[in-house]
Amino acid sequence: MSAPRALFILIAVVAAIALPYVGGPFWTGLVTQMYIFGLLALSVDLLLGQAGLFSLTHASFFAVSAYTVAILQVRYGVPTVLAAPAGILAGSLLGLVFGLSVRTRGVYFILITIAFGYVIWGVAVRWSSFTGGDNGVTNVPFPSVGGFEIASHTQYYYLVLAVIVLCGLGYRVLIRSPFGLGLRGIKGSETRMKSLGYRTDMHLYAAFVLSAAIASLAGVLYVYYNRFVNPVASSFPISVEAALMAIVGGTGTIVGPFIGAGVVLGLRNWVSSFFEMHHAIMGAVFIATVLWAPDGLVGLAGRLRSRFSKKK
Amino acid sequence: MLTGAVLQAVNGISLAALLFLLASGFTLSFGLMRVVNMAHGAYYLLGGYVGLSVAQKTGSFTLAILGGGAAIAVIGFFIDRFLIRRTGENHLAQVLLTVGVAFVMGDVALHFWGGDNLKVPVPMFLRGAVELPGGLYYPSFRFALILFGIAAGLALWVLYRRTQIGAVVRAGVDDREQVNATGINVDRLFVLVSALASFLAGMAGVVGGAFLTLYPGAEWEILVYALVVVIVGGLGSLEGAMIGALIVGLLDAYGRWLLPEFSYFVLFGPIAVLMLFRPRGLFGREH
Repeated sequence: MSAPRALFILIAVVAAIALPYVGGPFWTGLVTQMYIFGLLALSVDLLLGQAGLFSLTHASFFAVSAYTVAILQVRYGVPTVLAAPAGILAGSLLGLVFGLSVRTRGVYFILITIAFGYVIWGVAVRWSSFTGGDNGVTNVPFPSVGGFEIASHTQYYYLVLAVIVLCGLGYRVLIRSPFGLGLRGIKGSETRMKSLGYRTDMHLYAAFVLSAAIASLAGVLYVYYNRFVNPVASSFPISVEAALMAIVGGTGTIVGPFIGAGVVLGLRNWVSSFFEMHHAIMGAVFIATVLWAPDGLVGLAGRLRSRFSKKK
Repeated sequence: MLTGAVLQAVNGISLAALLFLLASGFTLSFGLMRVVNMAHGAYYLLGGYVGLSVAQKTGSFTLAILGGGAAIAVIGFFIDRFLIRRTGENHLAQVLLTVGVAFVMGDVALHFWGGDNLKVPVPMFLRGAVELPGGLYYPSFRFALILFGIAAGLALWVLYRRTQIGAVVRAGVDDREQVNATGINVDRLFVLVSALASFLAGMAGVVGGAFLTLYPGAEWEILVYALVVVIVGGLGSLEGAMIGALIVGLLDAYGRWLLPEFSYFVLFGPIAVLMLFRPRGLFGREH
């Protein structure tokens, strides 16, 4: 590892740990959201950046997992130890079903995942006797495992940070494993991978389910942070925003989705304080990203760096 | 029970007529230009709002339809020329870009027309009900919508299959470079088709605004229906859009009637099965 890189990581770690003491509740909350949505964006990017599949249904896994945790904890008093894994399990099971969409590629994959996403949204809104309809499920407690209990947003921040760091490291191992390299190979040329003897459909299916599991984990973190969940969590804009975060930050990287989440959430927070049409602003960010920064900020930084080093 | 079933059939067919108006434009612009335009739902909503304002000013429903369609044709032309064209054939970029356009249009519409449910006034002579065989009464407007959908479908089909312009468009769908090489101005053709697609979407908004009402968020709901129509029928196929619209309209009507809480499952379940056996839809081809 090069020296500047090690220094950068050190600074990032120190900043992340010191944040609640320096930044106060507002920044702690915003950065917690950034971690959570960054994880969701990372799950989208497992398909997009590694395998080349553009999914627009990830809000479904996110929401199903969040609803499962909320309903179990609030209505049935199930402890966190069981509720949180149940949420991830529920989201992953949905991934097993929606994963059928890997039979298609390109535009069809995009369109079918959008349609799938709407099924979940429709159920969340219309099956109001179970999901609480538009109001959703409220009064979700902070997580508590055994005698260990989270009591404040600051403590929760550290929990989320720990989970994110573990996920990031796990993800790094994953994409460098033969499985991850296989995904990259499929992204590069599926026919070539097929002729090498890979069962590309199964490979992508496994990646899809894994990605759904990561999105579900983000859903669990989300519901304990937000303390309630409503159909907005399952809506199409969440799926698109997750993809946007991955692209704004830079696809195919690990930090990219988190940076993207920070940029998007920060921008929205800042803009909505003085301008009410914040959807239009998000739309403008979409358009600007596509036209001027298709490789995201990480790509943009790389481009600038190579331009400067050429000048030297 | 039987009268209910008949009633839902008519409901489904009238929804199908509306969905066809929207999906035909979407599928044609994909077929010829390889453009996935997610702003199609926003075109629908904005067209409906413009039509509503025209109807309130002039009191004419015909003018409202033409006004809504024309306004969107112009807006669609600029969006196509200056934004979508710059993405080339990168579908991922197109989807993100047009979703962004749809967000902007939705917020602009919210700013001008507010967040309430608005209804385009139905013309006087269509306000009554017609008697169906069996003593059922059904709103005349919905019947007119079915006729309108059939007329639009026929007109499009004749244009697409029986005229020279249609022949050129079909040739363009099959092999664009070859058509260009024979000296036909494919670019002008693109403008024509994209204007037609936008016009249809705007028009659909006015018609849909008269029976589904217009509200923020309607653009995504209708878009998803149109997408399902296109998935079922196959991207780029006009006939597919007709059959797909009928299937989706009927499934939706019966779903809402029999299983109101799970009507989305009734609609999307069979589509998931279809995808397993025919991933490219009923009339779809390799793209």
